[in-house]
Amino acid sequence: MRRLPPRAVLGPALLAALSATCGLARAQDVLLGARRIVVAADSVLDDGRVLIRQGKVAYVGSDIPAEARARARRVDYGDATVVPGFVLAAATLGQERDLAERALPFTPDLRAAEAFDPWHEDLLALPQYGVTSLALAPAPGNVAGGLAALVKTGRDRGTVGADLFVSLSLVPAARDQERPPTSLMGAVELLRSACDAARTGAATGPDAAVLRQAMQGTRSVFVYADNFAELNAALDLARDFGLRLVLVGAADAGKVLPRLAQQQVGVVLDSLGPEARLEQLQLPTRLAEAGVAFCFAGRPAQLRLSAALAVHHGLDRKTALQALTRVPAALLDQAATIGSLRQGCAADFVVFAGDPLDLGSAWVATWVDGELVHGTSPAASPGPQPAAEPAADAGVR
Amino acid sequence: MNRPLPFAAAALLLAAFAPSQDVVAVKGGRILTITGPTIDDGVVLIESGRITKIARTADVEIPWTAKVIDATGKVVMPTWVVAHSQAGQRGLNENMQNVPWLSVADAIDPAATYFEDALRNGVGTIHVLPGNQTLLGGTGMVVRPAGRTVEDMAVAANTGIKLSLASSGGGRLQQIRRLRRAIEDVREYLADFDRRKAEFDQEQAAGAIPADKTWTEQIDRTKKAACDLVQKKTKGWLFVPSAAELDEALRLSQQLDLVLVLGANIDEGVMLLTKLAQPVVLDDEIEYYETDEETQKEHKVCTAKLLADAGVPFALSLGLGGPTSYPWWQLGTCVRNGVDRRLAIEALTTVPARLLGLQDQVGSLSEGKLGNLQILTGDPLQATTWVETVVLEGNVVYQRSEDPKLKYLFARDKDMAAKAAADKAKDQAKATDDAADGDPANRPPAKAADGGGDGPAPKRDGDGKQPNDGGAR
Amino acid sequence: MNLRLPLALLGVLTLGSALAAQQQTTVYTGARILPGGRPAIDNGVLITAGGKILVVGGASTAVPEGAVTVDCAGRTITPGLIDASFRGGAAPNDLNEQGEEVTPQVRVLDSLDPEDRSFARARAAGVTTVHVMPGTRNVIGGLGCVVKTFGSDPAAMVLKDAASLRIVMGAEPSMGNRAIRGGRVDSIYYRRPTTRMGVVWEVRKAFYEAKQALELTLGAAAPPPSPGRDVLARVLRGELTAYTTARSEQDIRTALRIAGEFGYQTVIEEAQDAYLVADQLAAAKVTVLLGAPSAAQVTGPAGADGADPRYATARMLADRGIPFVITTGSNAAALDLVREAMFAVRNGVAPAMALDAITVAPARLLGLDDRIGSLAAGKDADFVVWSHDPLDPAAVAVSVHIDGKPVTAPR
Repeated sequence: MRRLPPRAVLGPALLAALSATCGLARAQDVLLGARRIVVAADSVLDDGRVLIRQGKVAYVGSDIPAEARARARRVDYGDATVVPGFVLAAATLGQERDLAERALPFTPDLRAAEAFDPWHEDLLALPQYGVTSLALAPAPGNVAGGLAALVKTGRDRGTVGADLFVSLSLVPAARDQERPPTSLMGAVELLRSACDAARTGAATGPDAAVLRQAMQGTRSVFVYADNFAELNAALDLARDFGLRLVLVGAADAGKVLPRLAQQQVGVVLDSLGPEARLEQLQLPTRLAEAGVAFCFAGRPAQLRLSAALAVHHGLDRKTALQALTRVPAALLDQAATIGSLRQGCAADFVVFAGDPLDLGSAWVATWVDGELVHGTSPAASPGPQPAAEPAADAGVR
Repeated sequence: MNRPLPFAAAALLLAAFAPSQDVVAVKGGRILTITGPTIDDGVVLIESGRITKIARTADVEIPWTAKVIDATGKVVMPTWVVAHSQAGQRGLNENMQNVPWLSVADAIDPAATYFEDALRNGVGTIHVLPGNQTLLGGTGMVVRPAGRTVEDMAVAANTGIKLSLASSGGGRLQQIRRLRRAIEDVREYLADFDRRKAEFDQEQAAGAIPADKTWTEQIDRTKKAACDLVQKKTKGWLFVPSAAELDEALRLSQQLDLVLVLGANIDEGVMLLTKLAQPVVLDDEIEYYETDEETQKEHKVCTAKLLADAGVPFALSLGLGGPTSYPWWQLGTCVRNGVDRRLAIEALTTVPARLLGLQDQVGSLSEGKLGNLQILTGDPLQATTWVETVVLEGNVVYQRSEDPKLKYLFARDKDMAAKAAADKAKDQAKATDDAADGDPANRPPAKAADGGGDGPAPKRDGDGKQPNDGGAR
Repeated sequence: MNLRLPLALLGVLTLGSALAAQQQTTVYTGARILPGGRPAIDNGVLITAGGKILVVGGASTAVPEGAVTVDCAGRTITPGLIDASFRGGAAPNDLNEQGEEVTPQVRVLDSLDPEDRSFARARAAGVTTVHVMPGTRNVIGGLGCVVKTFGSDPAAMVLKDAASLRIVMGAEPSMGNRAIRGGRVDSIYYRRPTTRMGVVWEVRKAFYEAKQALELTLGAAAPPPSPGRDVLARVLRGELTAYTTARSEQDIRTALRIAGEFGYQTVIEEAQDAYLVADQLAAAKVTVLLGAPSAAQVTGPAGADGADPRYATARMLADRGIPFVITTGSNAAALDLVREAMFAVRNGVAPAMALDAITVAPARLLGLDDRIGSLAAGKDADFVVWSHDPLDPAAVAVSVHIDGKPVTAPR
């Protein structure tokens, strides 16, 4: 029996009220305008326009045909800044208990998608932190936890999409229990023998199939690992079995920088907060300097704070914004559809009163798939606009 | 516990343990006098338990009646002095916290293995005090680790009262408050006592009380020791568990005559200690790792070295088993960490002797002092050095060649182990017989010390097995 | 954490200069050199270059031009010490894979944390190589490895990756185990063995199965491969040495008996009661590891498993010609390795022999005496400069070198 969140009481009324405009919006193109639109980190429009059609970015800036521009419903956020919606590369959304099979250490074929709870409060809170997509990942309680699922936040509830990476874990949570393995060497041995068995064909079945995909490189492997020994173990496994590795947590990543760069490993960092040690605060800058792709995950409410703190400790703003948008999308192999506002991408974006990395800039609104899901809409005029706009109002920088 | 306190008044008791009436001459050794020059090939003459002469062999005429102990090729030096020890007692911590009227004389167990080990390590003088888990914890006494009864062992009684800042339940602040309160209570009692006496005198002067009547009230027996402390008639030995309590310890030491007995973790408070007039007593753990909370880096700390650098005089303690129970290990640790060798040796000889007010009796070899010395196989700071002989007041109380425990530990096969165990068992049987005789005088004190039953062999025997009976285990 | 500074210095600084420093020929003069296995050289000369030892000789040794000279007058130089049973290297939880009682295939190398504090402590105490084995909670714990105590990651430290198989006799593997009586049914504590005979049975069963499989492999139908059995088969074939932890006389006898039964070579580890089974040890030609000789205290038997350690043991093994190695072992109260050797000397072992027992002897036992354990031309430049005689309680390691590089803060 699903527990209805309090919001569900308001739901029907809200849905009814919104569905009218919603249906309208779907049908009609939206011409988004703002003082500053960050299409991708290397492409920023000043006083730009983006045309949204069928929930996707159809045209950007000067590419927008005049006729489409004239017909579209105009949504103009004035002085605000629009950035691509944030992507969480690994999140459990407070569903850890549902996302780790406690009795078994090795369940690579379990699907997080099946544990997805569209009514979970944590999920519903995500849009106001700017998060528009996330990978719902198995919790780190199992050595092999299963397959992550792509989730998009939406109005009132999210939607679940494709299976993503396979999630492994070497942190104490996966081994410090009353069931095997109880040690790091036991966990490593378990993974090594499972991979060996899958490679030689000695093992069959869905779990071996998942491992084979990982070894063939068709599925990336996210490994929860924090300290030096765990990171090295993960890197060794990736090297020995040809895995496309992304490290999650990776608190001691600074100690294995050369290996990270050499093995082209991505890193999903925990969010930063005021309590973080100097070493952690400087880690993003060091990763960037070493050429290691990284993004922030952890507490959604601290995503912007994490990027801002990293900037404060030497990270350049462009990389910081990418660490919230394009990099996590790329680590999830989803860069074609999320993480930027390029043509063809989903129209997932967040509106801030100013620079999102400036914590003084108020959050204004979050849109997913071309629809406003949270926040305020500027006074939108649905009708056709006089074509008095300058044709090439924004140069792509 | 109905035994009367035999030490109530005497400051120094030497009656029970009779100093040897023989003239004893320790001859031919290299004599480390500690306070005087080192003499190669010297003689120490002991008469009636006291040193009467120290000189080069060539310069001394040894009386023909003398019992000569040959120390040729060996090192002769004073026995070690331990300024503070909680060991050798049964039930060292009272459940009640505020018990200043108690005395360790009632807790000391002459048969404790601790005393046996102390002799084996060349320790001749030990100040035993109540345990650290206390508030006002009773008075201590100085003993020699030889003797059948506490009276035999006693060197000095009423050597001060134990105080502690170690919290036993409740926090640090509460312990501080309780200690202040306890001392304040004593002050109030004293003030009240004095006021009543003054009133008595006044009334007598005014004629309200007959002139032939005298003031008879005595200070309450349970409060006497604490009153002495408050009136600075006796020393307090204050246990300070960590650097955090040092401030309060310094405050208290302004009001009372205190010796600070430090816990292990005092490295942060060393500079505070420079204000003290008295030497401090170090914990037996003087070398440990400290982790920097910010950098998580570890570094080794040696408290003896820190104190030496700060110019704070200190006495060393010995542990209970393990390397820290060996004086050579403790001194070696000091020197390894950069403490001057002389300073280290003084920390187990002259400094504790001074703290105990026994600087004229023990801690160094000079004419007039007690005939307490040890004969070592070599330098006192070498691991390969063993204590050969211990002499206390002219009596030979320990000889390595007759040490049953070392025989046992050095037994190299079943037969030797069996023989050592049998010897030991025989020894114990004898000890039991002697005890039945009830005449301690006909038994040399050293053997009394090993008759307690805490040694390794009795433990095995307790299982009903002989130590050589390995196959049955 | 402790590695960070040297790492930063050696790793992050330009690689070129680090290499140059390593290639630099360095001459250490004036020290008393205890080369290990050979007589001491007074006022000796030690020359290193490229992480290796070039020359060890007397005062007249020719010094190459352009070499950096380090004056070590009054000092003593020994080979880097080798701890053949080192209980650190990783968090204690990670040293025991308790999922099963017999886990021959797990490799302790996978758990190794180069930043574990125990490495920094060992280095500071002059230990340059350690043999880390899985913990003692399992009957058959897994594969041990030999690593140097300094390196940027486990791979850079490793001398031997599968150096030993740990087997444990006695009470430890059965401690805490219990029969199922409610509670979490998948708990690892519901397992065999719960008795000493159960422990022995597990060992015998494992080796029996391995032997069966080995014999079958020779015939027609090969059994399916099993990583655990393969490891045991290597022990049976003499390719891997078993290290059996056995403290009491009973356990030592059992360890020798099982090894004899299946015909494999074992080292007896901890061996506190070795003095009671000297004849058997000599007959079986085993090497004995003496864990923490300092633990045999005056105050009574300190041995676990009902053992009764004696002062006499090390000296007796020396006199009987039974090869022995001094280690810190599984005793939490163990002192620095050199101090453990010092205690052996206190109890009658000749100083040279005690030093050999923490240098040459463990190197030979681990099959690495061509690289470490003694100072001779061509070997790794792992050595310690001591303030004076290392067996003096007041001695300190002034500098410790691994592959020629100083790995401790200068003092």
